[in-house]
Amino acid sequence: MAILGESGAGKSTLLGLLAGLDAPSSGELNLFGASLAALDEDGRAQLRSGRVGFVFQNFQLLPTLTALENVLLPLELAPASDNDARARDWLSRVGLGERLDHLPKQLSGGEQQRVALARAFVTGAELVFADEPTGNLDPATGERIIGRLFALNREAGTTLILVTHDHAVARRCDRCLRLTDGQLVDMGHEEVSA
Amino acid sequence: MMASGDSRREPRQKHNGLHWLGLAARGLKRDLRAADVRALFVALALAVAASTMIGFFLDRLERGLTRQAGQMLGGDLVLEQGEPFSNELKSTLREAGMTLSDQVDLVSMISRGERFQPASLKVVDSAYPLYGASQVDVGNGVEPLARGPAPGEAWVDPRLESLIELELGDDVQVGRATLTVSGIIEREADQSGGFSSFNPRLMMHVDDLSATGLVQPGSRVEYEILAAGPPEAVSSLDARLETLKREGVEVRDVRVDRPGLGSALERAEKYLALAGLAAVLLAGVAVAMATRRYVDRHLDTAALLRCFGASQRQLTQLFALQLGWLALAASVCGALLGLAGQAGLLALLTAFLPLELPPPGPLPLALGVLTALAVLVGFAGPTLLRLKRVSALKVLRRELDPLPASAWLVVAMASLVFGGLMWLYSGDLGLSAALLAGGLVMLVILGGVGSVMLSAVLRLAALLPQGSHSASPTRALRLGARQLGRRRQASLGQLLAFSITFAAMAMIALVRGDLLTAWQDQLPEDTPNYFAINIQPQERDAFVETLAGAVDERSSLYPMVRGRITALNGQPPQEAVPESGRGDNALRRELNLTWRDSLPEGNRLVAGEWFEQGAAESGVASSSASASGVESSVSKSESASDTVPISLEDELAGRLGLSLGDTMSFTIGAATVTGRITSLRDLDWDSFRPNFYVIFPPGVLERFGHTYITAFHLGDDQSPLPGQIVENFPAVSLLNVEAILGQVRDLLTQVTRSVELVLGFVLLAGISVLYAALIASRPLRAHESGLLRVFGAGDRLISRVQGAEFAILGLASGLMGALLAELAAAGIYAGWLDLAPRLHPWLWLGLPLGGALLVGLIGHGLSRDLRRQTPMASLGLLGEA
Repeated sequence: MAILGESGAGKSTLLGLLAGLDAPSSGELNLFGASLAALDEDGRAQLRSGRVGFVFQNFQLLPTLTALENVLLPLELAPASDNDARARDWLSRVGLGERLDHLPKQLSGGEQQRVALARAFVTGAELVFADEPTGNLDPATGERIIGRLFALNREAGTTLILVTHDHAVARRCDRCLRLTDGQLVDMGHEEVSA
Repeated sequence: MMASGDSRREPRQKHNGLHWLGLAARGLKRDLRAADVRALFVALALAVAASTMIGFFLDRLERGLTRQAGQMLGGDLVLEQGEPFSNELKSTLREAGMTLSDQVDLVSMISRGERFQPASLKVVDSAYPLYGASQVDVGNGVEPLARGPAPGEAWVDPRLESLIELELGDDVQVGRATLTVSGIIEREADQSGGFSSFNPRLMMHVDDLSATGLVQPGSRVEYEILAAGPPEAVSSLDARLETLKREGVEVRDVRVDRPGLGSALERAEKYLALAGLAAVLLAGVAVAMATRRYVDRHLDTAALLRCFGASQRQLTQLFALQLGWLALAASVCGALLGLAGQAGLLALLTAFLPLELPPPGPLPLALGVLTALAVLVGFAGPTLLRLKRVSALKVLRRELDPLPASAWLVVAMASLVFGGLMWLYSGDLGLSAALLAGGLVMLVILGGVGSVMLSAVLRLAALLPQGSHSASPTRALRLGARQLGRRRQASLGQLLAFSITFAAMAMIALVRGDLLTAWQDQLPEDTPNYFAINIQPQERDAFVETLAGAVDERSSLYPMVRGRITALNGQPPQEAVPESGRGDNALRRELNLTWRDSLPEGNRLVAGEWFEQGAAESGVASSSASASGVESSVSKSESASDTVPISLEDELAGRLGLSLGDTMSFTIGAATVTGRITSLRDLDWDSFRPNFYVIFPPGVLERFGHTYITAFHLGDDQSPLPGQIVENFPAVSLLNVEAILGQVRDLLTQVTRSVELVLGFVLLAGISVLYAALIASRPLRAHESGLLRVFGAGDRLISRVQGAEFAILGLASGLMGALLAELAAAGIYAGWLDLAPRLHPWLWLGLPLGGALLVGLIGHGLSRDLRRQTPMASLGLLGEA
């Protein structure tokens, strides 16, 4: 699903609310059948744990961690003997099997976002939120990243909620919503194409 | 590749502690790449190293010096009374783990042929000496001998050589026994028996004592037990020692009686403890600064982890464990460094510690680790809690940083922990609380002064000319000053941290200098090394004439009358004094009384008034009546009109429970003189000058038989003066105290070196603060220089702007540091080290200039790589590594 909107329309705020990163001041929001309004910050974190993945516009890789360590980060919240193998496996899937020990600053923008993709899917998330995943990339690299994101999403059977202002990206989603003046409007594919 | 179905994971298992330990350790390992973690590590390791080194060293020095003092005393414990000690007491002492040596002291006439001489006999057993060795010439020149004379032999003072022409191999008559002189004593292993007798020494074996027939009922004999043993053994005897004191036994305890070096050693120990605390405080400030950067850098990690589902508790646990690992690693390194430091120190001091020191104990080590943890919790705790409060939403909105920990909370927590450490180290709650309260008041004042200074810097910057070219020094200065002044909060924090650092470094250096000066003043080059005793009134003028010109320095000539305390406030002394004072030496012996119309040099009045002119006259009539009367009773001299004013030494007054207005009666010969205490004096017993417990005004004691005493310094070893004195004034006893003076000077040198080494540690800790603070401010500076560069500033200008900013920061911190150091040193001198406060004008020039240079150089050097970065990299650095 894609959420489209102009800059400043509140797309990221909505994404934050949907993911339980922020609490709504009014209204009702359910995630995995649980009311987010009824949960405190820790309760919402517990709900996300292992079930939600994220891809950000600015990658949000920790600069002091290598590619492998960045992917390991969400896995390390739970003890498992195969964490390392899983992280390596997902980095291979995004084509970075040879660059495991590189620090973010040694990787290009596209490579950094691929690390972020591996990190979003490595926990076996049921739901992945992507906030302008190509916003910091040139069009060609952005295109390749989006292709990979959709491929991984299909492969993992995940629900993807993607926030973008790029109609071309939105067109590739099953469903598109537009956020205007605080209202979310369902858009047909034709409207997006137009 | 895993199948998509496989990759979906089971709901989370319950996390175990071990997992988090491992996770924290892995996190720390990755983090070691970061400068702030390295700064934290260095600061913590330094805190541990300083505290363990000082702990180890003080512990061992204390034991070593106690041993040395024990040597001077003759044992760790010396008991003395007028009758033989019971076997029961000896067994008790042995059972407690003490090694004993019996000794008997008495004064007797000795003779060789027709020549007679009173001598002070020291009768020792085969166990003598318990510590050290005597310097004796047994025919092969002076050599150290760890034994006393064998039965049938006598060792004699060189004075006896000239007084009765004794030589090695001669026979000497002691009572009814004849002993062979087998040694000339240059220096005794111990000072037991000490100066109480001014007669020349003769040392003999206890087996010969009965043959002399000198010990008869009624003869004045002092029996001593010298006992050596570990401190625990001495402590286990405390209760028994108290009983003995009440029974009138004189107890000298190495833990309490340290002849000649008490105040110097006490000050040195306090100094070391103070320097240790300063190092810990500085390390704490460095930890606080490095933690800010650490937390800033981990806000993103925390937000991501929140995003991935970590709870607040898990985040706290993770970061606390991570820093716990760091503290542990730093403790191990610091403790090793501390161990090495104290071993190095010991190697330096071996020459001064002739006895083997016990190995380091585990307590200082435990204290070191505890210090690291306490510093971490106190100085980093509140700042670390910020990580817990990070919102997951920060991953989407970068500006959503949690508010920094309240400065008050940080200061309060650090103060609490530091206060606790001070209490732990000093064992003095009142002092710790006072220092802490003073410190906090100072911090508030410094905050105000710092704020005013930053405003002044901005104002002054505006007054500076623009400069003729783009990188002109005035332009750089103007820009640097503006950057500093505008970044108000951050600059104020650095200003405070640096001024505390400079103040601590300066204070430790100041105190060191003043301590050394005080010690040198206490034992200057011309400290008397000879005492001349028993100068007869008729010889007085001739004696003074003999000394005139031949000696470098001479104390006044004091008349001396011997008198025994027989009543205090009209009551027998044993009933009048508190229980603890019953065994006091002053009650058991005759005291040397003197008279004088002015306060002796080195004495200080602490209460009451010094005698007025003619003060004694009201009391003279009655005291002269008493003196001439055959029977003078204590009761008779009780009324106020019968008494004369006297001045009493303050500590003795304390021990005997006396204060101004109380009366003391002395029996002098057959007469009694009663004095009313009109002043209390504080005096320096370490001064090597004649000192008196009781001083009368002139006009009271003159009618009694008296002699004179003086002390002088003779710089020339080859001077014929001692020989002339012995020849021309045969009754005068000349006592050479050069050896004791030497021992005390050695000890002072020894503690001085330790003080210097500790000073080095404090300086290192100070530099760690500078490093941590500069590391913490790097991203901000990188951002600023990146912006300057974007706007067209060249390398040279940026370099100069940064240099100017650091130099101004150092200058201002130096000024504030000078103020703080001066105030703190004055407080510590007056309240703790018992030194007179003094101003240090050079500090006000040296610290600002030194500060500007040090901060300028270190800051400029550490920012070099920032200046090489492209503006893009510089601007991107903010908020990242």
